[in-house]
Amino acid sequence: MTNKLYQEELMDHFKYPRNKKKLEDPDFASGQKNPSCGDSVSIEGIVEKDSQTGKLKIKELAFDGSGCVISQAAASMLTQFCKGKFVDQVMAMNKDDVLKLIKIELGPTRLRCALLCLEALKSALQKFVK
Amino acid sequence: MITFNSKKIKSGFAIFKHKKDLIYLDSAATAQKPEIVVQAVSNFYDKHNSNIHRSIYDLGEAATTLYEQSREKVAEFVNADSQEIVFTRGTTESINFVADSWGRANVGAGDNILITQAEHHANFLPWQRLAAEKGAQLNFIKLDKKSFLLETPDLDSLINPKTKLVALTYDSNVLGNIWSTGLLEKVIQKAHSVGAKVLIDVAQSIAHEKTDVKKLYADFLAFSGHKMFGPTGIGVLYIKKDLHDHVPPYQVGGSMVYSVSFAKPAVYRDAPQKFEAGTPPIAQAIGLGVAIDYIKENLNFDELRKHEAGLTKKLLDGLQRIDGCHILGNLDMLAKSGHLVSFYIDNIHAHDLSAYLSNNNIAVRSGHHCAQPLAQLLGVESSLRVSFSAYNTEQDVEVFLDKLKEAIDFFGKNL
Repeated sequence: MTNKLYQEELMDHFKYPRNKKKLEDPDFASGQKNPSCGDSVSIEGIVEKDSQTGKLKIKELAFDGSGCVISQAAASMLTQFCKGKFVDQVMAMNKDDVLKLIKIELGPTRLRCALLCLEALKSALQKFVK
Repeated sequence: MITFNSKKIKSGFAIFKHKKDLIYLDSAATAQKPEIVVQAVSNFYDKHNSNIHRSIYDLGEAATTLYEQSREKVAEFVNADSQEIVFTRGTTESINFVADSWGRANVGAGDNILITQAEHHANFLPWQRLAAEKGAQLNFIKLDKKSFLLETPDLDSLINPKTKLVALTYDSNVLGNIWSTGLLEKVIQKAHSVGAKVLIDVAQSIAHEKTDVKKLYADFLAFSGHKMFGPTGIGVLYIKKDLHDHVPPYQVGGSMVYSVSFAKPAVYRDAPQKFEAGTPPIAQAIGLGVAIDYIKENLNFDELRKHEAGLTKKLLDGLQRIDGCHILGNLDMLAKSGHLVSFYIDNIHAHDLSAYLSNNNIAVRSGHHCAQPLAQLLGVESSLRVSFSAYNTEQDVEVFLDKLKEAIDFFGKNL
């Protein structure tokens, strides 16, 4: 396979998305649309209080959406990664964290596809924290 | 007659020397630049750099002369007077210019503006915003979703004494040719009969066929330099001479004014100076003039059309043999005189195809191509667009089709 962009792991997440489902009674929910290509990712989640630290933690995370391989695989990988993390940890994540997760380099246009899920997640959490 | 030699033409473009494997199929977004255009721009900075229209010294006079010569070249190229040629930043600025200056002064509540359903955002948003601000109505010539051609409307009801402007794209940047024979002329004629003005967006056709403002009966005409082998940052707005007194300056400031005082209103210079405030993109305007020289010396539009339509036909033949491929455009028109083809493949996102092709040095556009309303109308959020210019070869089409099939196989297996 000569394709440096579409690595096996990425394609696997696209083909068999993790956490692509609806949650019953989520604590937070958000939708985001990438106007450049019509990709869409929406995120839902449930939080709990960590018994040891008392901090808010992400208990359950799910996404829904449609679009290109990058946007959908990134959402699958991000939701997998963020489950069990503290809310403030997730809120501190940035572009580089997502790129590390999906393990590819992207140009500025394609980057928007990859970051769609993080934008959705962070905007949903922001609303919830407020 | 010499047959069209795209290989020879290609050798005049430095980018293909630096990137030997590049297959550039996105000339509808921007054309590559011939070496002589690039040299003209750098030559200006090296040998003539100075401001124009205000410097008395020799260097400044020479720069002014070069800039004005370029305006004359543009004028001759579209059969206009040089007074009627205004340099702008590009098609988008040219159209915003008309909306903001002429439009604000001449369109009022209850008036209407007519465009097509196939407009690029550049010829859609300025009118949508103007209509909303003024309480005017924005009307559309409908697109037939089966033939991908504009429908023949009931012109008497659509164009009436309340119609102030008809703003039409000549070629769609997504669909290519959209006007059935004679329809554009009919719409323009009807517009003039009720006193409406006519703006034509020729951004997509200016580098592919002869443009003549008089044959079009255009009041305004807009295009970009960078799609016709010129530099970015330079475009053209043609304003018909009769209208010069009815078009207020778009911007005010340096070099467009005769007299300014604390108390009295300013007295503006005559067109075209009153329409060009501030220091213009001088080197880019000169580069555009050289791009026109290039076209005149190297490209015969009849030959070019045959060449590009030939490539288009070859591409269409290949695409039609691919399962799940949907072509957006009128096949007969495209095969006869097209230079671009948009399409999509079932279940594979255009961005993924484009990224796969990019890994194989093929540059094609993917997305909604800055025509979201059209994409919504067609129900296609994202498509792939292949567009041709003089430097493209049959081999480009063959490699593209091979790699496209490879990409479809790859995603088909993995989805």
